[in-house]
Amino acid sequence: MGNRMEGRVVIVTGAGRGIGAEVAKWMAADGASVVVNDLGGAVDGEGDDQSPAEQTVQAIRGAGGTAVANFDSVAEYETAGRIVQTAIDNYGRLDAVCHVAGILRDRMVFNMTEAEWDAVLQVHLYGAFNMVRHAVPHMIRQQYGRIVLFSSGSGLGSSGQTNYSAAKEGMVGFARSLAKDLASHGITVNAVYPGGATRMTATVPQSTRDLRGSTQVPQAPVMQAQGAPIQGPPEASDPANNAPKTVYLCTEAAGNITGQVVGVSGWQVTLYGPRHVTKSIHKNGRWTLDELDQLIPISLANGLTNPVPPAAPR
Amino acid sequence: MGNRLDGKVAVVTGAGRGVGRGVALLLAEEGAKVVVNDLGCEVDGTGASHDPADAVVAEIQARGGQAVANYDDVALMDGGENVIKQANDTYGRLDALVNSAGITRDRMIYQMSPSDWDKVVRNNTKSVFTTSKFAAILFRQQRSGRIVNMTSDAGLGDMGRSAFAAASEGIIGVTRTVGRDLGRYGVTCNAISPMVETRLSPGTVEEHRVAAAPGPSRDERAGIGESPALGEWEGAGWPDDPENVAPLAVYLCTDASPNVNCTVFGVRGGSIFLYSHPAVERSVLKWGNFNMEEMDVLIPKMLGDGF
Repeated sequence: MGNRMEGRVVIVTGAGRGIGAEVAKWMAADGASVVVNDLGGAVDGEGDDQSPAEQTVQAIRGAGGTAVANFDSVAEYETAGRIVQTAIDNYGRLDAVCHVAGILRDRMVFNMTEAEWDAVLQVHLYGAFNMVRHAVPHMIRQQYGRIVLFSSGSGLGSSGQTNYSAAKEGMVGFARSLAKDLASHGITVNAVYPGGATRMTATVPQSTRDLRGSTQVPQAPVMQAQGAPIQGPPEASDPANNAPKTVYLCTEAAGNITGQVVGVSGWQVTLYGPRHVTKSIHKNGRWTLDELDQLIPISLANGLTNPVPPAAPR
Repeated sequence: MGNRLDGKVAVVTGAGRGVGRGVALLLAEEGAKVVVNDLGCEVDGTGASHDPADAVVAEIQARGGQAVANYDDVALMDGGENVIKQANDTYGRLDALVNSAGITRDRMIYQMSPSDWDKVVRNNTKSVFTTSKFAAILFRQQRSGRIVNMTSDAGLGDMGRSAFAAASEGIIGVTRTVGRDLGRYGVTCNAISPMVETRLSPGTVEEHRVAAAPGPSRDERAGIGESPALGEWEGAGWPDDPENVAPLAVYLCTDASPNVNCTVFGVRGGSIFLYSHPAVERSVLKWGNFNMEEMDVLIPKMLGDGF
């Protein structure tokens, strides 16, 4: 067992299965005391079940580690508060939060319901706010903290996932801004692009199956729907691959890494740069439409490819 | 008056002030019939008033254009549906949707209440979904349409407004995906980050403004360096005038440049910026899963330890 996280207390949300469970186990293996949080719902968020979180706790304890289960929902402010309180009650402090919990409700935008929008935003993005808002007072008191928010390459554009893209790219904006708010308190905040063969990618929800079955859904050129395309043999899709990089971001040694987006899936660790300006046009006055009609096609729009160009009706 | 949008119909949310107003005025000047939506709330999202929308409708009509006011709260599904429906009912069609409605509640995270968070994300990001969903239904049927979403660069790392940063970058996520959902139907969806002076401009968290905030500024992240102005501003407006955003927004509402989809632009004064999407800067790979000892060495060595 390592000791990078010895004496540290970590909450991992969505730690009952998949990537969250692996992150929790690796944290414990490096000496952390872990709050294993999982509502135990289905991939679309329905239902609840205590056994996933309990299984992860048993696995950690079986390997000689320290963990306690929590079954509260990240999606509500009050219940997220109970998750944080579980850490304080059991271990007296809180050093790191990894917000992995997430669900899917895929639908093309013209069919997406309010419930589908709300559910995905609530678990992912509101869940991030809820966890961070409750954790931060403890971390500020300690003048130490590590926050890792699980985003997704879907924020770069993924047909059928208006809600998920909003939440996942929102997570990135949130992390970059939080990093500024909290840097003077010794707290780092980073976003990660995870990936792997989990129930989120394997057992796709019915809405996603309907979507993919009925249309040729074009995927973003860089990312597939739920994370980086995993290169290599099946082992590279093991969710455990996300763990070492995530754990590293939560160590004391990673204190200078903040406000970043890190790809943590598969057999790679990747630093992503923020969107930035690559071309520009300038004048010292307001542009006219006559000018833009002539200039944009040969400047800013020159070389841009529509990722989904118009297609003939089927 | 131009005629690029003769016979076309546009909805502009948040069109009672600032950027939205400028876009509505220019759309009408180009011949579009405009539904001028504005809840007329305060910058923090509270309250409501018909005055802002009414004033812009009057201004358009005084200049010989056609417009009608809508006062719905587009953060609500009903509001989004109603504003689109009003365009269709009043003018018989819809060709362009510009989502400019937005509020802010600047707070350091440790002073932000759940309702502050919710209000900003709901008003700024959900409002893009509610209108886009119903516009998309029409656009898909007619196999044409234009959506332009106003966002901001707060999500590149602004201090003291993390809800606004999350909401703004969320709008960009929506833009990239809606453009993909609708591209095959001849619809484009793009975003503009206006760097202008409106009531949404940062600056209200004065007591927490640190002279040297840590890390790169949003301009540095965006790759926009310091530079003097090109010269004396010429013509209408002034460098920080929100109306400077309108030409690009209206351009993106015309049939020009159908290859421009899922793209993010910035506008500051007479500068128009094209943004890349987040991309891989550096990567370390191996055959097999990393172990912690490798992380200890490789991350500082290859990805950096002073971000």
